Amino acid sequence: MLFFSFFKTLTNQTVTIELKNDIRIRGTLKSVDQYLNIKLDDVDVLDLDKYPHLSSVKNMFIRGSVVRYVMLPRSEVDIGLLEDATRREAANQAGKAR
Amino acid sequence: MSFFGFNTTLPRDRAPPIESRGIFDTPDPFAEVARARAEGYQGGEDDDVIEFEDTYDGLGDQLDDDQDAFNDDTFGGGGGGVDPSPVGKDFDFFGRTAQVADVIGEEQIRYSLQQPGAPAASATAATQPTADTALPGAAAQKPKRTGYEKYQDPGYIPDLQAKSSVWGMPKKPEPQPQPQPQPQLQLQLQQLQQQLTPQMVSQAKKMLSLEEVEAQLRRQGPGSIPTQLPLPLPHSMPELAQPLQRAQMPPLPEGFAHLPPEIIQAQLAKGVPPAQLLHQPPMVPEPYPLPAHAPNLPMHLLQNANLPPQHIVPPQRQAMPPAAQRPQQQQPPLPQAPRGNATQLPVITNSQQLMHLTEDQRIAYLMEDAKRAKRNHKIFLLSKGNGLMTPQDKNFITRIQLQQLVAAAGNVADSDSEAVLAEDFYYQVYSQIRGAPRQHPHQPLGHFAQTYLLQTGNRLGGHGSRRQFQSADNHMQRMQQQVQRAVEAAKQKPKNKQLIIEGSLGKISFSNAKTPKPMLNIKRPESSEGAKTMKKPHTDLSVSDRKSVLTNLESVYNSLMEMEDMERTMPPPPDENDPEAIQKHMEWRQKIRALNQKLWRELKVMEPIVPNTNTPHPFIAFLSYPKGKKAIPRIFRHIDQEQRVTILTMIVVHLDSLDVVRRAQPVPGETQPSLAVREAIDLFSQAVMPSLLGYVNEAPFNIIIGLLGLVIAQTQVHMISKTRIGLGILTMLLSRAEIVKEAGQATERDWQQWVEKFNVLFDTLEPTFADIFPSSINAGDDMYVWQFLAAVGIGASPEQQQRLVIAVKDRVMETVTYSKTLPADMASQRLGNVNLFMRAIGLDVELLG
Repeated sequence: MLFFSFFKTLTNQTVTIELKNDIRIRGTLKSVDQYLNIKLDDVDVLDLDKYPHLSSVKNMFIRGSVVRYVMLPRSEVDIGLLEDATRREAANQAGKAR
Repeated sequence: MSFFGFNTTLPRDRAPPIESRGIFDTPDPFAEVARARAEGYQGGEDDDVIEFEDTYDGLGDQLDDDQDAFNDDTFGGGGGGVDPSPVGKDFDFFGRTAQVADVIGEEQIRYSLQQPGAPAASATAATQPTADTALPGAAAQKPKRTGYEKYQDPGYIPDLQAKSSVWGMPKKPEPQPQPQPQPQLQLQLQQLQQQLTPQMVSQAKKMLSLEEVEAQLRRQGPGSIPTQLPLPLPHSMPELAQPLQRAQMPPLPEGFAHLPPEIIQAQLAKGVPPAQLLHQPPMVPEPYPLPAHAPNLPMHLLQNANLPPQHIVPPQRQAMPPAAQRPQQQQPPLPQAPRGNATQLPVITNSQQLMHLTEDQRIAYLMEDAKRAKRNHKIFLLSKGNGLMTPQDKNFITRIQLQQLVAAAGNVADSDSEAVLAEDFYYQVYSQIRGAPRQHPHQPLGHFAQTYLLQTGNRLGGHGSRRQFQSADNHMQRMQQQVQRAVEAAKQKPKNKQLIIEGSLGKISFSNAKTPKPMLNIKRPESSEGAKTMKKPHTDLSVSDRKSVLTNLESVYNSLMEMEDMERTMPPPPDENDPEAIQKHMEWRQKIRALNQKLWRELKVMEPIVPNTNTPHPFIAFLSYPKGKKAIPRIFRHIDQEQRVTILTMIVVHLDSLDVVRRAQPVPGETQPSLAVREAIDLFSQAVMPSLLGYVNEAPFNIIIGLLGLVIAQTQVHMISKTRIGLGILTMLLSRAEIVKEAGQATERDWQQWVEKFNVLFDTLEPTFADIFPSSINAGDDMYVWQFLAAVGIGASPEQQQRLVIAVKDRVMETVTYSKTLPADMASQRLGNVNLFMRAIGLDVELLG
């Protein structure tokens, strides 16, 4: 749930999402669910020349499994907190595995 | 218009008079027939139109007109004694109808809910006779294949079971709000029409009045009604007819007695009140199909050899809920009983008939009758409360129930707030720190589910003025929230992850988003864990090798998090009189102390100092990692003063082996250290220095003296003084001493000690004062140097100050000259730095001109 928890804090931030088919989409992150499906608003497709069919798309729902990268605004990430959250997650996982 | 030029208008679209009529418009039952005829006369261009003569199989002629068995039921003629009140001329049709109107409506709704397809199917029957299997004789003459071609065979005996399935399947998905005349009514109308004279048929387009129909029927005479009812009748023999017939059947006025009983009975069987008998009411429901063994089923049907009982029972009937309305189904084999007794037990339709029966028959009949009455009474009792609650009421009740469900399951979630925090730690803490989308800033941490859900509730229901208009929405909204909460709570519940079916060899493991199905299920042997811990001390390569340092770091962090968790769960300050609270508090302190000890061990501050080795002390190695540096402020929050001074001492003693000092030594030819080192230095001054400073500012003077002594004795002061961090620590100590002196807290003896140490330091540093600056004047920030010099200058004796000025004079002049080439703000900054030192020794840059 770490990533879910993490992405929840990024709602209403502008992120760039790179899909596994190389399409890169910049937009406002509206919501994320536990499968890391992503709802984007005010989308902007980078390399729009390559993907003209997306030129009229204004918002979209992206299935989590097709996302390759999410590029985040650095200032919105609390790195120390994220490190701790990661430690907790690791501890949880270790606790579950046992 | 259609692609292939076919007439694509659907038959139902071609019957506007029926489709578009309002609720109170009376349908014309003969319209369809007449229209079909009229169209047939036009030359039969449209093959979809069915000629009545073409489709009529003559079954109607076989109707038994003598079967007036139901007259009694129909006309309420007293045999059952259920409705003994005599019927006067002022019979209240409307009132009687109104009594059952509710029941009819409810039954209609209930039926349509249970069998969505049925009303539609029956609704199409009237306008599209060929499509309805209820008309066995309706032969299709369409060019298209309809599946009903076999009905053209006059010898064909329809398979009722197959047809009955039609009722369970929605043939026309769109629900028809106005049920059309029923199939067998259609049939009867066709029979009727066959007996009508042609000119009457031509009139049939017109609505017939009651008198006209009566007149027609009288003219035809009873004998002309066919002797056998059409076979499909059982499908539509409604259960509803029984309450009507038995309990609430109003006696009919005189004129009705002349109607053929079959017709009226069929109509009544469908719940048509007598007043509306000849005006097909739009609201007439498609009633329940009567079970085949219903006691008032005409006997000749049961005796029909072609109709074994199981054929009469449509399959979907078994799917119906065995409600109280169908108690007969629970009774032992009734279907056989009347069948076998059929000869001795004719159906009683009027009291005279009852008189002629034998005693046995009468008893049997009365028993049947009593059963029926009992059943109807039950229905009546059950339907009494119908419609009492509005949908809102029901929503409300549902919400209460859900609330209780949540309350029951929610306790698990509440007590498990730690688990929620563990699952959603980042979001929780982040929202607290940054005030992320959370509407209750004071909500205690961990009530995540509630917060999340209430948030939406507040937003939607917050405005009191708009509440009224939203109340219906709100119900749904709140319900949804509660469902969500219930789901949340259910998620919290530990679930069985595996199912082992008894006697099976394998096991089935469930998975969900939280705990995905493990691909591999490897059981870790207990021994391996033990071996690991055993091995650790023996990997005696070094306590400061990268791997073990990083491991230490992680364990330090884990301890830190544990301690922070503990802090959050700190019980309130105990009340003197509450032993339990004191006990709790004591326990908590105990735990904190244990954790503190653990943390202290993991920091390895107390590892013995091994002089003259290449491997750094574990704690110094710890500090050489960014993670380690970052941990210091957090560690300082959780340790006591003694531990703090130990750490400070440790750092001071190893000052020259500290990475930020060791690696920051100026390299000839390079103006400044590498980027990584600069980053490390920045981090150290941001993370570690404030903590140390925070301690030093409160430290007693003798500790400062001791630390300065350590610096002089244990470290290479020259090396330290060339680095920012080293100078920073020295500045820290010197300025603290000055503050102590200014405040007059220092005893004379301590001060003497300090001055001794200071003199040693000054003497050591004097030759290198010029070298402590960054190598080049424009290498960037040299403020820390001026700060250090200022700290030295304040504490120095006038003689020492002179020596100091001589040592750094060149740099001062250089900076002043250089600052003249800089933009104003940067120049003033540089000069300000210099002035920091100059003022400390009682001078000013201004004096330099």
